[in-house]
Amino acid sequence: MAKEKEKAIKDKINWKKELKLAPGYLILLIWVLLTVLLLGWVVMASLSTTKDIFAGNVNKFSFPSGLHFENFSKAWLGQGVATFFVNSLVYSVCSCTLLILVCAPAAYVLSRFPFKGSKLIETSFVSAMGVPVIMIVLPLFVLISQMGVLNNILANRVALVVLYVGINVPYTTIFLLTFFGNISRAFEEAAAIDGCSPMKTFWQIMFPMAQPGIITVTIFNFINIWNEYFLSLILANSDKVKPVAVGLYGMINSMKYTGNWAGMFAAVVIVFLPTFILYIFLSEKIIAGVTGGGVKG
Amino acid sequence: MKKNKTMMFCFLAPAVTLFLVIFLYPIVRTVMMSFFKIDGVTDSISLWHFTGIDNYLKLLQTSLFRTSMWNLFRIWFVGGLIVMGLALLFAVILTSGIRFKSTFRAIIYLPNVVSAVALATMWLQSVYSPQFGHITTFFKAIGWEAAANIQWLDAEHKFWALMFAYCFGMVGYHMLIFASGIERISGDYFEAATLDGANKIQQFTNITLPLLKGIIRTNITMWSVSCVGFFVWSQLFSSVTADNQTIVPMVYMYAQMFGAGNTVTERNAGLSAAIGVLLSICVVIIFTVANKALNDDDIEF
Repeated sequence: MAKEKEKAIKDKINWKKELKLAPGYLILLIWVLLTVLLLGWVVMASLSTTKDIFAGNVNKFSFPSGLHFENFSKAWLGQGVATFFVNSLVYSVCSCTLLILVCAPAAYVLSRFPFKGSKLIETSFVSAMGVPVIMIVLPLFVLISQMGVLNNILANRVALVVLYVGINVPYTTIFLLTFFGNISRAFEEAAAIDGCSPMKTFWQIMFPMAQPGIITVTIFNFINIWNEYFLSLILANSDKVKPVAVGLYGMINSMKYTGNWAGMFAAVVIVFLPTFILYIFLSEKIIAGVTGGGVKG
Repeated sequence: MKKNKTMMFCFLAPAVTLFLVIFLYPIVRTVMMSFFKIDGVTDSISLWHFTGIDNYLKLLQTSLFRTSMWNLFRIWFVGGLIVMGLALLFAVILTSGIRFKSTFRAIIYLPNVVSAVALATMWLQSVYSPQFGHITTFFKAIGWEAAANIQWLDAEHKFWALMFAYCFGMVGYHMLIFASGIERISGDYFEAATLDGANKIQQFTNITLPLLKGIIRTNITMWSVSCVGFFVWSQLFSSVTADNQTIVPMVYMYAQMFGAGNTVTERNAGLSAAIGVLLSICVVIIFTVANKALNDDDIEF
């Protein structure tokens, strides 16, 4: 009885508080509804037909001719989305794995064994995060085209992966650096007493302990690399090696002329689906990553 | 100790090598290139002609480039005010103790994980579409024909259409940074202020804002860095040839370097390099000014 009464009082107080917050709720709700409507409309349009889109049926949430899942299969097979999609998947997975293998050891050394120059490396990496791509793209283009990479499909793919890795090295290292800094030294000391070599200590003890940080930074890298546009536009020469973002641009341009709006929206949905699904499951991790140690002025 | 040194070398070498090849070498070379006339971008250094600051002067005399800088400035300044204003407002609301906080936060941040190409296509082909666009439909529904007939993508409105679409996606990211800053402020300050009779607005201007200096600086820096890289949106909102309304320096550089159309005045990779250097200088200036103006060393919390 007493408990219920307490709860009732609590609710009452809350209602007063909620009422005060009403304008806040309203503002956020409008923005959230806008976001959901905009993205939702694209998904609905991708299941509709070009005729229905132009007739304004999608705006009324109606599908007179039913749902057209074949838009997706058509875009996937006919428009080459499959190739771009697989390309992006391979690039992202390879780059993310390499990034961790390259950056985790470096971050560990920088956070644990300060030496002459370690501060310089750290500052350089932090500054590199603010360097515009336009500042580095020309020499990279020269470097890669002089190696004759652009005419060979496999070499072109490797070059792209190396670039994606290189571009993200500073961010990944700095992110992991703060993470390793927070792990207690006691584990390494214990390992050293037991006669474990420093390298072994890192791979068998520290690396697994840093897993939460590694997962978060990998999600970020995956999203970044999946959405990367400018470098791929310049350095992915043939349709066979293009990632989704660049491929989608070409597709949109051609579909505007063929007038296949439903197909175009289906392609758009296919492109944003992977990062979207990742986000649905991992949004808390991603948000924590944005606000965590990774962001430095 | 010796063992330790080999380990440190092995662990650092790949990352540092990549940094040197992907960042340091290109930066040095781009700065050098900007002082030369270079007919083909892949020409070896022996074929470069030193021209001093000619490339920079030429750029500043090109009206299309000046337009592109002006457009970028407007996006950075006006767009920045809109984004920072909305982001701060949302962050304050989010941290005021409302329910469904994480849901709101997650949905507002959502556009940041979606490919910019997909987002821009969404705005272009659905929101601003004159046939079935959301804005047109909305104004028709409330019976305001004049507003419904506005062509959002004509020369007059295109720039603002572009800017609003871009800002819409950016709010979530800066909101998260603001919100994390506000959450770090101890609740004691607000409690004490409430006891002293300060209202919410007074608390915001006298406690929250001054303590957010460092966060504001971070936000301005991040916003500037992403503005300088402004490319996809502009390219998607432009027609094939350079478009006075939507051109930004990076698009100008891309067209000058790799494209065709009305931007190609001469084949000179040095010009493109100079654009890169100019933009980097802008970032450095903004960073320095923000650091000076928003120095929060004197505040501890």
